[in-house]
Amino acid sequence: MSRRYDSRTTIFSPEGRLYQVEYAMEAIGNAGSALGILASDGVVLVGEKKVTSKLLQASRSAEKMYKVDSHLACAVAGIMSDANILINTARLHAQRYALSYQEPIPVEQLVQSLCDTKQGYTQFGGLRPFGVSFLFAGWDRTHGFQLYMSDPSGNYGGWKAAAVGANSQAAQSMLKQDYRDGMTREEAVALALKVLSKTMDSTSLTAEKLELAEVFLQPGTGEVQYQLCSPDAMGKLLAKAGLTQPAPEA
Amino acid sequence: MSIFEYNGSAVVAMVGKNCFAIASDRRLGVQLQTVATDFQRVFKIHGKLYLGLSGLATDAQTLYQRLVFKHKLYQLREERDMKPETFASLVSALLYEKRFGPYFCQPIIAGLGEDNEPFICTMDCIGAKELAKDFVVSGTASESLYGACESMYKPNMEPEELFETISQALLSSVDRDCLSGWGGYVLVVTPTEVQERVLKGRMD
Repeated sequence: MSRRYDSRTTIFSPEGRLYQVEYAMEAIGNAGSALGILASDGVVLVGEKKVTSKLLQASRSAEKMYKVDSHLACAVAGIMSDANILINTARLHAQRYALSYQEPIPVEQLVQSLCDTKQGYTQFGGLRPFGVSFLFAGWDRTHGFQLYMSDPSGNYGGWKAAAVGANSQAAQSMLKQDYRDGMTREEAVALALKVLSKTMDSTSLTAEKLELAEVFLQPGTGEVQYQLCSPDAMGKLLAKAGLTQPAPEA
Repeated sequence: MSIFEYNGSAVVAMVGKNCFAIASDRRLGVQLQTVATDFQRVFKIHGKLYLGLSGLATDAQTLYQRLVFKHKLYQLREERDMKPETFASLVSALLYEKRFGPYFCQPIIAGLGEDNEPFICTMDCIGAKELAKDFVVSGTASESLYGACESMYKPNMEPEELFETISQALLSSVDRDCLSGWGGYVLVVTPTEVQERVLKGRMD
């Protein structure tokens, strides 16, 4: 391997690759997975919590899902400390836009600005890239519900269904087979849980290992809502999908 | 002519029994000319915290927008709403940052604390906080408001009586001030509900 070209992020290898960016993606491949599915009436984000030790202080805040603005949320896969920096940047950017224009920031603009930041770390400064991939879910007036995936290189794309983190390739191909246009949020949740149960390393799906968030329009007021699923509701959903039984002993 | 009297304004807040009321006039003027009769001076920060801003209208709007910015980030990071006392400190700090080129506003902060204890305070345009247990006033009609509130106020009023008192105090005070008036807007907040009412006063 061309080890000589690994140490600096800001130069290409002879084969035209940016090794540091690829190594960042490797790091994400070892992190807990996250899935996003675009439905007709909302966007569903599901995340797998990697560390579930009994010693962990039960925290009120989510580990994988973060609200960026009232109409925007994201799921994270990768190095959590890197993610915190980027989420803070995203939140500030969204508020600065709202202050200037007195309007919520369009989803793609927010994703683009964050990706511009990430790209900077692959071209100058000599600093390593962020080891995080994001799944952004949001709503705006021009394009309705949207789902975007971004990676350490600063590339992003709009998706109907996407997966990041561990076993994302397997999850992505499963989503490709089973996703249908015009799914409702309920169907999307069921699909997400089904795909996760097949691709997750752990033997059984329990409510403590998962986080589920939905972005949708409140029926009465039409306001965008971000709702994190409570552990009880999570348990009920898993039971309904028939996924609570542990996998049979090998 | 003082810059504080350019647009004309009257804002008052009162504490009741487990509730508070905040009221303002609705006139927006450009010195002697009335330009709008539906101008909003009382803004919601969150369900149990309201901000009234008297003084220069443009500064009132900008200050409110900047505070929404800060509060939204606070909500995202701390995952809870700001306490009224904390918000008052934030407003005070924001105003003092512009010590030598201030916002020409006098804010009134009114909210229900953690245990639904009513909290009101006001400050001058550079952030000197003044906490009160009964009522706070600001705007071009403040002198009349002081007199009216002092005589009409009594502690531990229920929401309906509080509404009557604050409305009477507001209307009678703005009637003695040519730069404020053209109706009133009253908000009464209890732990369970928020009642907004528009008052019909002398339209002059």
